[in-house]
Amino acid sequence: MVAGELVSQSIVNGILLGGIYAVAALGLSLVFGIMDIVNLAHGHMLMVGAYVAILVFAATGITPLLGMFIAMGLLFVLGIVLQKMLLKHVVGEGIEQPIIVLFGLALILQNIGQQVLGGDSRTADLGIPGDGIDLGFAFMSLPRTVTFVVAVILIGATWAFLQYTKTGQAIRATAQNETAARYMGIDTDRIYTITLGLGTALAGAAGALLSMLFPIDPYVGWSYLLKAFAVVVLGGVGSILGTLVGGVILGVSENLGALYLGGGYRNVVSLLIFLGVLLLKPEGLFASGGSAE
Amino acid sequence: MSFLERHPEEALFANRRLQAVIGVVVLALLTVPFVTTDSLTGLILTGLVFVMLGVSWNLLAGYAGQISLGHAAFFGMGAFVAAWLTTPSAAGFPASIQLPILVAVVFGGLAAALIALLIGPVIFRLSGHYFAIGTLALAAIIELLMLDQRSLTGGSTGYYVQGDLSINEFVSHGDVMFLLTLVATIVTVAVTYRIVQGSGGLAMKAIHDDEEAASSLGVNPLKYKMYAFVVSSFFAGLAGGLYGHYTLYINPESTLAVTWTIDSLVIVILGGMGTFAGPILGAALFLILDTGLAAVVGGIATTIEGALIILIIIYLPQGLYGLAEDYLIKDVDGGKTSEAPHSADPKAVTEED
Repeated sequence: MVAGELVSQSIVNGILLGGIYAVAALGLSLVFGIMDIVNLAHGHMLMVGAYVAILVFAATGITPLLGMFIAMGLLFVLGIVLQKMLLKHVVGEGIEQPIIVLFGLALILQNIGQQVLGGDSRTADLGIPGDGIDLGFAFMSLPRTVTFVVAVILIGATWAFLQYTKTGQAIRATAQNETAARYMGIDTDRIYTITLGLGTALAGAAGALLSMLFPIDPYVGWSYLLKAFAVVVLGGVGSILGTLVGGVILGVSENLGALYLGGGYRNVVSLLIFLGVLLLKPEGLFASGGSAE
Repeated sequence: MSFLERHPEEALFANRRLQAVIGVVVLALLTVPFVTTDSLTGLILTGLVFVMLGVSWNLLAGYAGQISLGHAAFFGMGAFVAAWLTTPSAAGFPASIQLPILVAVVFGGLAAALIALLIGPVIFRLSGHYFAIGTLALAAIIELLMLDQRSLTGGSTGYYVQGDLSINEFVSHGDVMFLLTLVATIVTVAVTYRIVQGSGGLAMKAIHDDEEAASSLGVNPLKYKMYAFVVSSFFAGLAGGLYGHYTLYINPESTLAVTWTIDSLVIVILGGMGTFAGPILGAALFLILDTGLAAVVGGIATTIEGALIILIIIYLPQGLYGLAEDYLIKDVDGGKTSEAPHSADPKAVTEED
């Protein structure tokens, strides 16, 4: 039997990790909900964001909390270039072409990561001194706590952006009905570009946050893509709150899976949950009524 | 409704000059083990494995329109099941189940087909993006589980396969494996050709073009998706079993890795998705690219491959086959098929006559 303290610690760690998963998933969910494209390179973009934060930290000692903004800026630009140069040509022509374009991009990013940094895993750390919080039944380490708070802020900021800014409203309008949005004078091409930039920037942010907790190597892309997609499926496409809840569910169940079944099963548990939900309740556990179809 | 038309490539193998070309290529391949070095034989064997992977993935993705990202799982499971049967003791199985390599690789293919048969009805509840990601997840689960089963797979140390088919000092184990792989490749191509030429192929193309319309016309989508999935998985597993018994070493981290899915996809895209000859041409080009690029540009070969598939899918969706069709088949066919570009309305062609 596993000690109760270990269980509560795993649950707390899982919740804190879930925040970052939710950030990664939110980027994927936005692009999927609005553009009807699953960004197969999302995990690899996360890897790039993590490496940007790690390299900035290694070179200058700047905390990845700030490096995150560099990563987000870079990934935002990558998203815009990707949309303008490649995806624009294939969107709306069935699912095969976008899948393959993004698959190719994932290969390129992984290969570049390998070439620039080698196959070894690297990691950054918070770079800020301080103690964690002892809850009595579990301990919240400082990096996990800080990354969780930043993750929740990012999610809140994205929600506020979509809810209250003109561009955000235009994005939601485009998600609901592209044709109608265009009749209302919304430049939907521009909306798609911004959406993809936003989605990839969130992948970069999630990567930078993860770099403070886990070693990153050039091959982590596929695994984080599947995790992010699992969260999207759990939370329902287009539901921001659902994404946060889904992230926490995934984080907790992964940690409990690793605790009870052994570290090798950490990813198996998350993938099984993912497939299970996908097959049994494909609209997600918390699908919002008006979410994108 | 492109499935109602006869694609020019369907006449491909009916053409006498093409039959002659195919005959020459097969004869040339037959001589490979006897006239070339062992390493070149191995390289071309890899090319044949690529043909099997490409042709089988194309049946599922190009014809039936189901973009599976789990092909590696079937390749790898074929390799492992075949290895368990030829080298049972290494996995703790009784020596009595030991089978000759030829039988074992067929069982490897059958095991892969069985897995497809079992998971198909479940995984085909998903479609489009969900199917693609679902199969990617499924392959990841299989890889992780196999990696964890150290007693069955050797874990990250890998699994050494026993096998020696060498006949004498001139005909090595690799040479015999090459000939077996050649036969398997021909079978793969021939069976797939029969399927896509027949009513099954038409049904698959109909599902690809418009599943609802196909369904309303009496085509059972699940039945034909399963058909494509099971056949495709069988040949992927067969390829895995053969490749494992050529290299005589398999490892969950490499044999079940997503790399094999990537290779299958790149091969099909290079050659032309949904065209019959595409994956065969694509496998040849990929083999050259994979070895040639690695020699010339070193580590960034994958980047170039990635860029190539992106550019080809955008600007040349019919791939190398599309190019060949424009410049070569026209002449080979005496201009017969060139009058009917397969995307055009057939009526327009008759009016021109």
